[in-house]
Amino acid sequence: MSKIKIVSLIFRFYISILRGTPLMLQLFLVYFGPYYLFKVNTGSIAIGPFNYRFIATIIAFSLNYAAYFAEIFRGGIQSMSKGQYEAATVLGFSKIQTYFKIILPQVVKRVLPSVSNEIITLVKDTSLAQVISVTEMFTRASAAASAQVSVVPFIAAGAFYYLTNLLIEAILNRVEKSMSYYS
Amino acid sequence: MSDSKNDIVLEMTDIHKSFEKLEVLNGINLQVRKGEVVAIIGPSGGGKSTLLRCATTLERVDYGKIVIGGDVLCDTISGRLSYCDKKTEKEIRSKFGLVFQNFNLFPHFSVKRNITEALIHVHKKSKAEAETICNNLLMKMGLIEKADEYPCNLSGGQQQRVSIARALATNPEIIFFDEPTSALDPELTKGVLTVIKDLAKEKMTMVIVTHEMSFARDVADRIVFMDGGVIVEEGPAYDLVTNPQQQRTKEFLAGY
Repeated sequence: MSKIKIVSLIFRFYISILRGTPLMLQLFLVYFGPYYLFKVNTGSIAIGPFNYRFIATIIAFSLNYAAYFAEIFRGGIQSMSKGQYEAATVLGFSKIQTYFKIILPQVVKRVLPSVSNEIITLVKDTSLAQVISVTEMFTRASAAASAQVSVVPFIAAGAFYYLTNLLIEAILNRVEKSMSYYS
Repeated sequence: MSDSKNDIVLEMTDIHKSFEKLEVLNGINLQVRKGEVVAIIGPSGGGKSTLLRCATTLERVDYGKIVIGGDVLCDTISGRLSYCDKKTEKEIRSKFGLVFQNFNLFPHFSVKRNITEALIHVHKKSKAEAETICNNLLMKMGLIEKADEYPCNLSGGQQQRVSIARALATNPEIIFFDEPTSALDPELTKGVLTVIKDLAKEKMTMVIVTHEMSFARDVADRIVFMDGGVIVEEGPAYDLVTNPQQQRTKEFLAGY
């Protein structure tokens, strides 16, 4: 945490709000906020093929997950022993060198399991985007299910989520393994 | 050994340090000459480790003067304490080595990288140069075959020897040891003490905080007995152990 009190306070407030309110609410706020608050015509905003619905989803998810990741990394950094900093200090490493060479590589290894969890949750959370009418997979499945009066589309959607996460899991396992050369 | 001022590697004058209200160092004076081995002994909480941490820039003193290798780390002039600038402090850090009680090796680096990393990135030596220095030191420590191992695969004694090699790599003028064998069992302790003994024979300047009384007696030139934040007694190692003058020193040594 920052030694500058005001900076630390701002981030603590940010994390507290983002973790303490529903992601769905945050999605609504990012999507409708610009229009209700500033009368911005978000319908005309687009970056390449992405309309504002999609952009708002990216923004809301980034803000929300940044808060969770920040907490995970804070925990990881604080779990490092004082001795590591002290050894680096007396060897003459600068603060920046100490952070990037000594602390961060060890922190990454420590937080990886928690980060994996968050990434997998993130994939499943994308189904929330339907609340601002982003046609993501779950929206499609719902539509197909009611049109066909069948649960098969839901099962298919579930399979897609699962396969995506299976792939992510496989990648993360490899990363974890690549860092298991020390304990 | 001459008494000329240039021969003094470490000079600590009237050092005071407290944590909150607790006075840990209460006016310590310590001088270490080039080639001298000084052992600091005393009960836990007597201020030994704090003194070492103050000398190695890990703690800030509240009052007093510290000079290492001719550079002034801090000074108190007419009651005002001031520390040197960052550049001088970095310079000072290259003049000493510190060996920790619990090694503090970098677990994600191989033995070799633990030793060469500072040489390459702080002292700007070439990789080849750094590796030559590293190999020579590992040879001396009897650990050359462990160069590519990671610390977690070494015994505590081997880890401590690596950390001594790491402290020696930058060719410091003085090495501080903070209870280097307290985390080791007696068998592993032996190997580490042998290494330190060899360094003493090579006239390496060392300050060793230790509970190994017979080691202090045999290896140190001088022993300093600290308790309650002051130096209670100091003198030639053998004399102090066999014939202590102060009552407090006698009581302490009677426990060994």
